[in-house]
Amino acid sequence: MENITQGAVVAVIGICTVFAVLAILWCVLELMRVVFTAKNKKTAKQAPVAAPAPVPVAAAPQEDDSELIAVLTAAIAASLNQSTYNLKIKSYRRVETAPVWNRTARRDNLNG
Amino acid sequence: MSELFINGITSFIQNTGIAKLFAATEGSALAFAGVDFGSIVMLIVACVLIYLAIGKQFEPLLLLPISFGMLLANLPFSNLMHNVLFVGSGEEHFVMDFGEILHNGGLLDLLYLGVKLGIYPSLIFIGIGAMTDFSPLIANPKSLLLGAAAQLGVFVAFFGALFLGFNLMEAMSIGIIGGADGPTAILVTKTLAPKLLPAIAIAAYSYMALIPIIQPPIMKLLTTKKERLVKMETLRPVSKLERLIFPIIVTVVVGLIVPDAVPLVGCLMLGNLIKESGVAERLSKTVQNELMNIVTIFLGITVGATASADTFLQPQTLYIIALGLVAFSISTAGGLLFGKVMYVLTKGKVNPLIGSAGVSAVPMAARVAQTVGQKEDPTNFLLMHAMGPNVAGVIGSAVAAGVFLAMAKVL
Repeated sequence: MENITQGAVVAVIGICTVFAVLAILWCVLELMRVVFTAKNKKTAKQAPVAAPAPVPVAAAPQEDDSELIAVLTAAIAASLNQSTYNLKIKSYRRVETAPVWNRTARRDNLNG
Repeated sequence: MSELFINGITSFIQNTGIAKLFAATEGSALAFAGVDFGSIVMLIVACVLIYLAIGKQFEPLLLLPISFGMLLANLPFSNLMHNVLFVGSGEEHFVMDFGEILHNGGLLDLLYLGVKLGIYPSLIFIGIGAMTDFSPLIANPKSLLLGAAAQLGVFVAFFGALFLGFNLMEAMSIGIIGGADGPTAILVTKTLAPKLLPAIAIAAYSYMALIPIIQPPIMKLLTTKKERLVKMETLRPVSKLERLIFPIIVTVVVGLIVPDAVPLVGCLMLGNLIKESGVAERLSKTVQNELMNIVTIFLGITVGATASADTFLQPQTLYIIALGLVAFSISTAGGLLFGKVMYVLTKGKVNPLIGSAGVSAVPMAARVAQTVGQKEDPTNFLLMHAMGPNVAGVIGSAVAAGVFLAMAKVL
């Protein structure tokens, strides 16, 4: 029985500490966000890179292209070595109509 | 001449493992009629675990060394591992004699020092830190609370263990299985209840492998279809400076409040800072790959080697395995229920499914949240949102471990 009472104390202190520590971290992070977004607003204009999609992709259903856009974003992010957060796809178009030499060159570029 | 020859052969035969198996001294676990069934059963258990690791691919990176370590240590006369040197043979206040270990220890005894002194779990955490991307958490700090809520199972299983008759230290070690974090569980157990180490490590790692089976039914049970369909806003971009400051802040805050969690959280954040700094690419690669892999081998093989028949083949091993499942399930439920609270408070902007990822098990738990969410709506991508609570869970379980370690000192 003594074990159980001691256990109750441990459990209550434990749960409270875990929540307290993570809640404090939460506050600190929110604070950090406020500080940084305030700073970022001044320099906001440079950030979003609008990248057209140079990657030829197999036909996807036109009605719902969110999956395609996700794929494109990931592909661009991978080839530019950047985080997907910095990319925003504004539009994409198929480029298969390009002359065959252009396509070869592009493919070489991607592979190299 | 011939006598010498016969004597030689006899003593050779007496020193083989086979002779030992069939000439067990009374008093060793499960010995009947001179046959050492304990060791035989342990060898079979080891083989079953090897099968699970290779055939079923249950966390093979760990289970394979663990199971083979078990096999090695249970071969009679192999002299690789002497548990007595570390846990004593039943004395009330056993003090480890390092000189004895260094002089008489086998290979695994020496490697086990890395577990016993708490070196391996911390080194592994450096590697985990370097592999972890905390930006989903920095972008959505609310998810820290989900990581805290998903530690509920730790404390419930702790209570369960007390009711089943385990003592406080053992109960703490069993509870920490619910943190779903192998190195954390090992660090706590080797300090508080070293005899239970193999059972707890095996339970923790097996359930981590089983997360895709354990979690989805609970997730479906506790959430409504409407909640599962919630699409969350895209996370904001996180600047490099924030990613650099984050590990430092977390180390300082956690370190000041729960100093006993520093060996884990500090190393986790060191690894993360090495990666995020971008100036120590070579170190980052080393801790993620070579260091991590080497330590994992040592950790696995020695944890497996602590599984000897007289400590492992006990009813308490079954209790531990059952309590581990309870711990995992309740942790999942805790995260989900807190996710529901957030769903209400944010007026439906948070998908409660991401709460289940608050049990650490990175990135498996987050992937489960993604899969379950996508079953309802294939265009819903919860993975990045679930990574927030997921990495918060790692910090949460390390803090819970720190609390246990601190409380154990004063009780």
